[in-house]
Amino acid sequence: MVAGLLFFVLPVLLASCSLLPAGPMPQKQHGPAKAMIEGVPFFAQEEFQCGPASLAMALNWSGTALQPADLIAEVYTPGLKGSLQSAMVSSARRHGRVAYPITGSEALLAEISAGHPVIVLVNLSFSWYPKWHYAVVIGYDQQQGRVILHSGRNAGEVLSSRVFMNIWQRSEYWGLLVLPPDRLPAGGREKEWLAAVAGLEKSRQWQAAAIGYATALKKWGKSFAAWMGFGNSSYRLHELDASAKAFYQAALLQPDNGMAFNNLAHVLAEQGKSKDALAAAQRAVDLGGPSIDTFRRTLEDITQNICATK
Amino acid sequence: MLKLAMKPVSFFLVFSFALLNFNVHRVQAQMVDTHTVIAEQEAADKRARVADFLAREEVKEIMIKQGIDTVEAQKRLASLSDAELTKIAESMNHLPAGGDGLGTLVGAAVFIFVVLLITDILGYTHVFSFVKHQR
Repeated sequence: MVAGLLFFVLPVLLASCSLLPAGPMPQKQHGPAKAMIEGVPFFAQEEFQCGPASLAMALNWSGTALQPADLIAEVYTPGLKGSLQSAMVSSARRHGRVAYPITGSEALLAEISAGHPVIVLVNLSFSWYPKWHYAVVIGYDQQQGRVILHSGRNAGEVLSSRVFMNIWQRSEYWGLLVLPPDRLPAGGREKEWLAAVAGLEKSRQWQAAAIGYATALKKWGKSFAAWMGFGNSSYRLHELDASAKAFYQAALLQPDNGMAFNNLAHVLAEQGKSKDALAAAQRAVDLGGPSIDTFRRTLEDITQNICATK
Repeated sequence: MLKLAMKPVSFFLVFSFALLNFNVHRVQAQMVDTHTVIAEQEAADKRARVADFLAREEVKEIMIKQGIDTVEAQKRLASLSDAELTKIAESMNHLPAGGDGLGTLVGAAVFIFVVLLITDILGYTHVFSFVKHQR
C-alpha cells in the first residue's frame, strides 16, 4: 500500500519518447571507476513506445522472453502518447518481477556495478516543454565521464554524464529496477524490498512473492513482515505447512502482535487442527491492536466452523 | 425514431439490471494481508521513535518547565493516529544527528519545534494553528 501511494503522490510524468540528443563534456563521481552490463538485449522503439521498449529490455535481462509489442497494452496510454511510471511498475509485477524504484546517481552507479540495468525517466527538453523519455542505463565510465544506455533507436548510446544528469534531474532522478524475485538490489533495504515484493501479491503473483520473501529472509532473518509475507503467499499457493511454519516464526519474533496468530489460526483451521486454530484465534483477539476487528471475525468464523462440523 | 426505441431499450436495461447479482459475498479468509502488516510495522516504528524522543533528558526538561507530566505524555502518545505520528516522525527527520558549529544553532530551533509540535498534538500547548485538536 505504501509503495502504491508513493506512485500517486509522485507527479504524473509521461514519456513521449523522442530520441536522445548527443552531448559532450565529461564529469566525475563516486563508486567503482567503471562498469558495463553485458547481455542486456536491445529493442529499437517505435514512435512514442519507449516505455514498452525499455521495460522489455529490462524484463528480458531478468529472464522473461517478452517483446515490446507484448507490453503495449499493459504499459502504454494512447491518449497520453506515453507510458506512466505506475504502469511500468505494475506491468513488471504482472510478469512476476520485483519492481524496485531507486533515485539518485549513487544508487544508479551501485546497481550498474552490481550488474542490474536501470530504467530511467529523463526529460530531453525543458520543464515548461517536457519531452519525457524512458531509457535503460547499462554502463558508465567515471574517468571518461560517460553513461551508456539503450535508448530510442540507439543500442549502447554513449552520453556525457553532465548531459545525462541534467536530463535525469528533471524527473527527480527516477529509476526503476526490474529484478527476478531471488535477486536483491545492491542498495537493497529491508522495508523497500518488502514493499516491492508485497506489490507482487497485489498482482496475484504468489510464487514470485514467496521467492521474494524467502530472499528477504536469507538476509533479514528476523523480519516479522517478511515471515508474514512468506506465510501469506505460501497460503495462497496452498502450501499450508510452509505457511503455518512462517506464521509460527512471526509469532515467535513478535509474541505480542496478534497478526501472526490471526493468520496462523486460518491455516490451522484449514489443516483440520481446529483446537489449535481456536486457541490461536483467541490469542489474537486477546492481544488486540489495530486489526482487532479482523481478529474477532476470524474467531467467529472458526468457532462457527467447529460447531458446524460437530 | 429514437423516441420509439427509447421505451423498449430502457425496459430491457431495467430488466437486465434486475438480473445482476449485487450480493456481496462474505469474505471468507480474514487473513491480515502483507500490506497491512507493513503499514502497521511502520506505524509501530514511528511510535517507538517518538517515545524514545520524549524519553530524552533534554526533552523531559523542556516539558517539565512547561508543567507537563512526562509519564502522562507517554500515555497520550499511545492514542495518536497514524497521520499525527507521521507528522511528528517527519519533523524529527530534520533533527541533526551530530552537532557541529552551525548545526547546533539550527538544531536547537528545530529541536524546540519538534517538542512543541508533539506537545501541541498531545494537547498540552496550542502553538501551531495547523495542528487540529481532536479532543
